[in-house]
Amino acid sequence: MTGLLRTILVQILAIALLNVGSPLVVQAEVIGTLAGLESAQRDTDLARVNRVLATAEARDQLQAYGVDQAQVEARLAGLTDSELSTLADKLESAPAGGDVLAVIGVVFVVLLILEAVGVIDIFKKFP
Amino acid sequence: MALAGCTLNPPRFPAEETAGLPPQVELTQVAFFPQKQYQCGPAALATVLRNSGAEGAPDELANEVYLPGRKGSLQVELVAAARMRDRMAYEIAKDLPSLLREVAAGSPVLVMQNLGVQPIPIWHYAVVVGYDLDAGTLVLRSGTTERRVMGMRRFMSTWNRAQRWGVVVLEPGQLPAGPQLDRYVAAAAGLEAVGRLEAAGQAYARAREQWPESAWPQLGLANVSYRRGDREAAEGGYLATLALDPRNVVAHNNLAEILSDRGCVAQARVHVEQAAALAKGTALEAAVAATAQHVAGATTADTAVSCPP
Repeated sequence: MTGLLRTILVQILAIALLNVGSPLVVQAEVIGTLAGLESAQRDTDLARVNRVLATAEARDQLQAYGVDQAQVEARLAGLTDSELSTLADKLESAPAGGDVLAVIGVVFVVLLILEAVGVIDIFKKFP
Repeated sequence: MALAGCTLNPPRFPAEETAGLPPQVELTQVAFFPQKQYQCGPAALATVLRNSGAEGAPDELANEVYLPGRKGSLQVELVAAARMRDRMAYEIAKDLPSLLREVAAGSPVLVMQNLGVQPIPIWHYAVVVGYDLDAGTLVLRSGTTERRVMGMRRFMSTWNRAQRWGVVVLEPGQLPAGPQLDRYVAAAAGLEAVGRLEAAGQAYARAREQWPESAWPQLGLANVSYRRGDREAAEGGYLATLALDPRNVVAHNNLAEILSDRGCVAQARVHVEQAAALAKGTALEAAVAATAQHVAGATTADTAVSCPP
């Protein structure tokens, strides 16, 4: 009886493992120019980005950051594999141009001083 | 006050760096789109897109590049939005003379700036539309200011803090003022990667004219032919690529795919073996292994098929 249970368990685990592995199976297809360039330029053994996985992660990230459901797919369509992976991994930390100044109090005073002495350039954008 | 400070002490370029540049340029015809709150990305992008003859109002672009959760726009999304209009966002070399050269040639440059300091960054996009070497100033479309005059020294510190990122938006097949093979082909390959084949083809063709000794534009053209379903042109293109660079992994691999599909299995095997040897230890190893498997499972066609020698 335990032998039978063990066999079933092993089979379930084997199928589960196969399923985990399946998105990583590489389909035979021509290699795009960009993949060739990136491989030649980086000159490292960085693994090639799996587009299916990177797209799924980037989709989740865009939605989490408030992009309208209706626009997500169109936005993903314009990105290369490595850009998708950048979006998936670094959306939180990558610079996002938008003039966000979310500081108050002491920091604000410090910024004013820095501005006055010409180190930074925040306040003169608006006339 | 800040302006006076700059004009009193303008930075001087070594003459060789600005040689051949007109001392003063302003692209007055470049449109101005005053930004809404946090939306300097869509506004700056609309400015350079319009200049390249592409459509895209800031409100429409906000749907494509604005990230509500970050109150801003990411560089990769600006590049992608240009791509989807068959425009190429070409990243310029990271120095001021290169930037000025693009402006002098008539291309406004979309730049990222950090208007804050490193620990408290305030990321901003603006468009450089002019400069004055004698006064040491730049002119930018920036935020709600149509003509923001900024000292070069001050501009440089804000640009430095944003890793000197700047792009010009080019029409398909247009070259920038300072074309570099790697950057140009990578931008064209970005168009190919997202399926903008017409624009990618035009860019590769222009690149082949500019750098006839490089295998990459030739490879790009072959890949565009393949994706359009023209396998005969693609096969010729891969052979031409290998004539320029006998060690091009992608050309060997893709040629093997085509040859095995049309029954030239022996020839396919030769190319996939070369590809495998060259791809060892690189990111392409798995893709080449998949091709090798495909070739191993292919059947040789009858004698009616004419295979290359």
